[in-house]
Amino acid sequence: MRILIVEDETKVAHALREGLEREKYEVVVAPTGEEGFFLVNAQEFDLVILDLMLPGRDGLQVLSTLRKRGLQTPVLILTARDAIEDRVRGLDSGADDYLVKPFAFPELLARVRARLRRARTDPAVQLRLSDMEMDLLARNAKRAGRRLELTAREFELLEYLLRHKEEIVSREMLAREVWKETSRATTLDNVIDVHINRLRRKVDEPFDRKLIHTVRGVGFVLREEP
Amino acid sequence: MRLWSQNVRMRLTMWYTLVLAGLLALYAGVASLFLFLGLREDFDHNLLEDVETIEGMLTKGPDGQVSLRASHADGAEPRIGHFIEVWSPEGSLLYRSSSLSNLALGGPPNRSEGLKEQAPTTLRLANGARARVASSSYTIEDQPVVLRVAYNEGRLWRELGEFGEVLLLGFPIAVLLAGFGGYGLARKALAPIDAMATQSQKISAERLSDRLPIQNPADELGRLGIAFNDLLKRLQGAFDQLRRFTADASHELRTPLTAIRSVGEVALQEQKNPAEYRDVIGSMLEEVDRLTRLVESLLALSRADAGQIQLQRTDISLLAIAREASAMVEVLAEEKGQQLGVDGDASIIVSADRLILRQAIVNLLDNAIKYSPKASRISVRIARGTDNQATVEIADQGPGIPSEHQPYVFDRFYRVDKARTREWGGAGLGLSIARWAVQAHEGELTLRSEQGQGATFRIWLPPSPNQKKGGPQ
Repeated sequence: MRILIVEDETKVAHALREGLEREKYEVVVAPTGEEGFFLVNAQEFDLVILDLMLPGRDGLQVLSTLRKRGLQTPVLILTARDAIEDRVRGLDSGADDYLVKPFAFPELLARVRARLRRARTDPAVQLRLSDMEMDLLARNAKRAGRRLELTAREFELLEYLLRHKEEIVSREMLAREVWKETSRATTLDNVIDVHINRLRRKVDEPFDRKLIHTVRGVGFVLREEP
Repeated sequence: MRLWSQNVRMRLTMWYTLVLAGLLALYAGVASLFLFLGLREDFDHNLLEDVETIEGMLTKGPDGQVSLRASHADGAEPRIGHFIEVWSPEGSLLYRSSSLSNLALGGPPNRSEGLKEQAPTTLRLANGARARVASSSYTIEDQPVVLRVAYNEGRLWRELGEFGEVLLLGFPIAVLLAGFGGYGLARKALAPIDAMATQSQKISAERLSDRLPIQNPADELGRLGIAFNDLLKRLQGAFDQLRRFTADASHELRTPLTAIRSVGEVALQEQKNPAEYRDVIGSMLEEVDRLTRLVESLLALSRADAGQIQLQRTDISLLAIAREASAMVEVLAEEKGQQLGVDGDASIIVSADRLILRQAIVNLLDNAIKYSPKASRISVRIARGTDNQATVEIADQGPGIPSEHQPYVFDRFYRVDKARTREWGGAGLGLSIARWAVQAHEGELTLRSEQGQGATFRIWLPPSPNQKKGGPQ
């Protein structure tokens, strides 16, 4: 999987490259719009991550030129401008998704994964990790064969974590996906933390092996090893 | 011309003088006309009297010659300047006074001349002089004659001329005096404006507390001054709010920055094991999260200020929105052992953007939960207010908000107790956002609180135009 990052901010570009390479992606960085444009034309990529504010050539211009030339590669744009018309303009120019700076890295990873697997949504009705399993149809969850008594919200939360097992999930992602709160200005962090704590009490407390882990400053992850 | 266009005082004076000069000229014209008419009436009166006198003085000599008796019975002499002609009705000149020499007072008489009483007429003589002529028909010893007596109008015109000279002499003096007077008056009238201009030049953003002096609040200039002072007051309020906002915002931004910096610097002072480094980085990321959220909230508010947020309105039950909001935060209340109750009239429908209105209620509830003691009660009530408005009342049993803080609680970053900032989390924008959200729905958000008696926030919303009348209670 080859990803092209067009980003002029060296630190950001470096962090993105490192983070994505750790996830076993092959990463190429272009510091200017021109170079990005040249690379896309010269080589094959599975995904382009494009910053909108670029020196020399505006990201949107690069994107619309590429799309006019028939480029099919999915493009994820990064923008510091989150006014609605900017998002609309970005999507109109042929972007597949956008992310507003500053973004959380797990969020970027989730978007990248979603873009790359695109059509493949998870139809599974049975989710499992270690000795925990969830039946989405019967709407029950068990650990070590014992049924977990979960509220509706806790069930949805656990389902989301389980669907993204071994991936770090930020509070922002949880607020948007589980609580359906679109405004980033509304803080549900306290609410989320309380729910995670309650979930922990039911899922992890009676057992030796803990599954829900907090990644300080980033979010939560559901995995077997600590 | 520059003076003309730049100086109101000059312009006023010019206009004043011009108008006055015009009026004076008109007055002089009318006065002259009346004087002339009056003089001429006297003139004509004398003329007609003289005609009668002269009639009596006419004699006819034995040769049929008409002559003027040198002395009349009462001894009056024909006055100098009298012109006399006597004609026979057939048109032969019978007598012409020597004063006329060869000048004629018109040609032979027509038939009706002198028969009826006629007003005297003005005639221009061959030498250019104007003469006022009166005619009368008379009979001297059975000889019918037409008598014409004329005065030279010179005297009349001379008198008029003298009057005109007096007027002309006085005219420029009057205009000049009026001009000076007008200038002085304009200067006096405009002096307060000059004073206001000078004073307002001294007022700057730093000295907005200055006010213009107002001499008479009832007159036009006083009203202008009051309007100006009101404007200054509002500006001062806005500036103060902005200054407070800037100070508070930089404080809020600086706090997490300081934390990031010191945590990082301290961590670099000595070797640590990976777990410790993780902890340090995590702590820094938490602060970054705070900063991010702060910037998000500020952006949301500034977009709201700029009117960039458009509401996606639907008709929805207010109780349903309140229940949703309460469901989102009720775990927080549970953690503190607080009771969070929602009830009220389910039939109240509002036309609202569900997410934005919910956000307002969530923020108010979040606030109530945060500041209320454990095991207290927070109630949300939906009801109809005055004028059929829809209201949401959020009442807590917390410490309440002291009255001196109440006007500011909706200001951005305003905090009743500055020291509690970090302990309680949040950046002091929740209430600002709530108020914006309510106002975006043409509603009002009010606060009623007494210290120690809890706080009650109330959202007032206009009812949906589609509100069903008298729904189920």
